[in-house]
Amino acid sequence: MTPKTKSVVFSLGLAALVAGCGRPSNISKEPEHGIANAKMESMLDVKPDSPVHTIVMPHDEPAFPPGPGREEFVTACVVCHSPRYITMQPRFSRTTWLSEVKKMKDVYGAHISEDQVQKITEYLVSINGQLDTGQAPKGTYGE
Amino acid sequence: MASPDRMTSVLGASSSTRDLVRFPEKTEMILLTDRPPQLETPIHYFRQDLTPNEAFFVRWHLEGIPTSVDLRTFRLNIDGHVRQPLQLSVDELRSQFEPISIIAVNQCSGNSRSFFEPRVPGGQWKHGAVGNAKWTGVPVKSILDRAQVKAGAVDVSFNGLDAPPLPSVSDFVKALSIDHARDGEVMIAYAMNDQPLPMVNGFPLRLVVPGWYGTYWVKALSDVTVLPQAFSNFWTDKAYRIPNGPNGTESPKDLAKDTVPINRFNVRSIFVRPDPDESLHPGIPNEIEGIAFDSGYGIRRVEVSTDGGGTWADARLDGGIGKYSWRRWRASWTPRNRGQYRLMARATNAMGETQSKQQWNRSGFMWNVIQQVDVKVE
Repeated sequence: MTPKTKSVVFSLGLAALVAGCGRPSNISKEPEHGIANAKMESMLDVKPDSPVHTIVMPHDEPAFPPGPGREEFVTACVVCHSPRYITMQPRFSRTTWLSEVKKMKDVYGAHISEDQVQKITEYLVSINGQLDTGQAPKGTYGE
Repeated sequence: MASPDRMTSVLGASSSTRDLVRFPEKTEMILLTDRPPQLETPIHYFRQDLTPNEAFFVRWHLEGIPTSVDLRTFRLNIDGHVRQPLQLSVDELRSQFEPISIIAVNQCSGNSRSFFEPRVPGGQWKHGAVGNAKWTGVPVKSILDRAQVKAGAVDVSFNGLDAPPLPSVSDFVKALSIDHARDGEVMIAYAMNDQPLPMVNGFPLRLVVPGWYGTYWVKALSDVTVLPQAFSNFWTDKAYRIPNGPNGTESPKDLAKDTVPINRFNVRSIFVRPDPDESLHPGIPNEIEGIAFDSGYGIRRVEVSTDGGGTWADARLDGGIGKYSWRRWRASWTPRNRGQYRLMARATNAMGETQSKQQWNRSGFMWNVIQQVDVKVE
């Protein structure tokens, strides 16, 4: 295995989010904002002939509305990925969201307790779900 | 730059919103997710034979993606079941090995996932998780030959600089059989369209596996490990698997029990013209245009229908620019009357393989249903 830390600097996003885990209210207080394009481009640190190639990743951490399970969602999910992983999905049924949460926990290795599974599922259904008909929803895209 | 109002994120907003975003070294692209980034190429870029680096799609799996690489200390490590482990700098790769260039399509396994019905969870791509580029680098075979692979090698695994956000999450590592890795075409690319790769496309090195889905094209490649046994990890054993049947298809009501790792591209074509919002007029010739590709056998025929599949006519094929490249097709169409028309395109390769009429699998992989584009003539 490579000693990766020697030559590679990872995005600071994780550290920031982990630090924020204990006080998720801080995240919600952040103003709703998009990705800071202008700032990002000016910080692009590519000098001609420089052996060090660096980019600064934008962060788009949307405000998410209050609701049951929000705290569990912020703690367990946003550590590994942005909430856009939820909002880009169709409005799935509760059955589908529950299986996604279980997949994250059991297959991907997310730190989600049994107790949190239900709460996170409730939150996902409340922000991007639908009544459970047992069927996946009709698509919203089409060309 | 995207207008600020399009950048606003509100959780719970409609999932059909397609925000545009500009990442470092990239042009304005369709934002699926920002962390880790998944960026889709707007279709109009496919009017060019080679997809510009700044518009090439982006898909990472793990939160910890590399954002800085020091070429003075970066090394590609070759180890495992070899006599001579190697640590190579990018300069050494460039100067000590004979380079090859291949024009090849790279396509995400889940390209077009949002068209499956019933819908499936995952990156909700339309048709833009694909691109065609000229890749330049060193065949894996040349590097393995220098490392002197020992007898009994089975697989070769490829790991990049990206890292999981938690110790419980599997690192993203993929593998090929030793024979595939040594076929002389699988390469470690240091250039994409004659330029260094953008960081989010895998700077400084990327594995190129012509004809195979993008999941194998490991980005920011840092470790090549030769194995005396079959490779096994989450990303091969559980993820990126398809039903072991024709075209990776199964029924939502009867999921396949037998699955295999996703592998070669199936045959597909994508319209690049007309634009959905382009207005067409009766009595005037309109150029219809698209791209078609497969896993390297070669596109031999593309047929176009302008009446929803009732009748078909051969499109003209541009000269090929490589068996792993996509091939452009064109057709001229003069609609007689005003009204709604349904355009369709169907590609066939040298093996006689063609596109699906219906298709579904639980992961939303390998979409190749004949595309329908509804246009208005007025």
